[in-house]
Amino acid sequence: MSIEKGTLQIRNLSKSFTVDGSELQVLNNINLTFPAGSFISIVGSSGCGKTTLLRILLGLETNYEGDALLDGERIEGPGTNRGIVFQDHRLLPWLTVGENVAFGLDKQNRKAKKKIVDEHLKLVGLSGFESAYPAQLSGGMAQRVAIARALANKPEILLLDEPLGALDALTRMHMQKELERLWLLEKITMVMVTHDVDEAIYLSDIVVIMSSRPGIIKKIIKVPFARPRDRASSEFSHIKAEILKEFHLGTEYPFAYAI
Amino acid sequence: MKRTEKIKIRLIGVSLPILLLILWHYVVSAGYVSHHILPLPGQVVETLVSLFTDHKLILHIAVSLRRVIYGFLIGTASGFLLGLLMGLSRIAEKILAPTFHTVRQVPLIGWIPLIVMWFGMNELPRILIVAIGAFYPTTLNTFSGVRDVPRRYKELAAVYGYTGFKLILRVILPSAFPSIITGFTLSLGMSWVLLIAAELLIETIAGIGKLIDVGRDTFNMELVVSGILISGLLGFAMTGIVEKLVQTVQKGRVFEQEL
Repeated sequence: MSIEKGTLQIRNLSKSFTVDGSELQVLNNINLTFPAGSFISIVGSSGCGKTTLLRILLGLETNYEGDALLDGERIEGPGTNRGIVFQDHRLLPWLTVGENVAFGLDKQNRKAKKKIVDEHLKLVGLSGFESAYPAQLSGGMAQRVAIARALANKPEILLLDEPLGALDALTRMHMQKELERLWLLEKITMVMVTHDVDEAIYLSDIVVIMSSRPGIIKKIIKVPFARPRDRASSEFSHIKAEILKEFHLGTEYPFAYAI
Repeated sequence: MKRTEKIKIRLIGVSLPILLLILWHYVVSAGYVSHHILPLPGQVVETLVSLFTDHKLILHIAVSLRRVIYGFLIGTASGFLLGLLMGLSRIAEKILAPTFHTVRQVPLIGWIPLIVMWFGMNELPRILIVAIGAFYPTTLNTFSGVRDVPRRYKELAAVYGYTGFKLILRVILPSAFPSIITGFTLSLGMSWVLLIAAELLIETIAGIGKLIDVGRDTFNMELVVSGILISGLLGFAMTGIVEKLVQTVQKGRVFEQEL
């Protein structure tokens, strides 16, 4: 049976780091399967290994036990079939917006490069900004350029490491809609690490809850709602409560104070 | 900014030198300082004028410029390469840095007798002495510029498969550019210092330092002061040219970005 492009399988994945001589187990026996084309969020408090997991999928950490497979092949290093959007936009300040988007496009000739850059700037709503420098952009715009750069290589999966964390609350809500729009258009698998439970529920098909020390999968919650999702709906709140419970953040019955 | 504003700012900047000039004239003409030690500004101007109309000045300037330029180029080129090597390779740093930092402690002027012993009293030792002056600032600044390339840029480059020359040329050197240019500017300053020292301490027939030397020997203080002024002006002009060159290369780009 051939595997559909963009399928991620993680089997018995473990990763430890040596810190000050002792071994720190960051990921412990992770098992996950991400169907092709789905939107997955990984939620967890700091230190639960979610960024390490992303780095393994990206190919920046190659020394791991178990298997992380993309389309059935073990991930052994970076490659253009996986794109990444970092929390800080990581645009190179000495390159224009256009040159930044074209960062991974060396194999193309000039005409093809220009076409791809124009296409993707249009996709993120930044046509006409090719000659601008990152320093001239707002945070939201810079992050959109970073998304354009990541998608320019037509990756099979897009990894997002708290992509909206550095943006203000209003821009973040706009960008969440943007991400959803792009995901629906490009139809690629997206794996997003986030702290924001609302964001996770709004965007994802599946929410993976991780806990820390050691990093394990606590719970996998499916979000089968229709899109676009209503943050105020009862089913939304229901799932939100379920997720928050896992973080011991559910509503507690308040004490009544007697005066 | 209005024209009158600009003129005001210029005037304020020039007022201090003019004040010093007046002070200089007063101190000598009133007898507080003997005119044998410090000539009147007017006398210096006379000497300068006669030097300019005497065609030999061009020869002195040309000889000095030649030594400075060759020495600067040799010193900065080798300094850049060494700084780059040590910055890129921790092994190279481990091997070379201890020796480099130890030898660096030798006072630059102290090299002069040694080099004269080895190379005699011709152009090569003079150029080498200038080169030694230019060598250290460029090495140190290139090294720190390369070493301080932010990890996030190196990670980005790794994700996109940038290695070897591509990585150095397109990510590391642009990021290190401001530091490297600082190194060049410092090296240029040191080159002039070492040039005058070399021309004063090694017998020579021509050069600005030679003029100063002759003035000193013949108690011609106007010549000494003129020589100092000319060397200062030349250094100033060269720095200005280098800055203009840097600006054209930079084309208004920014190489560092605060997050």
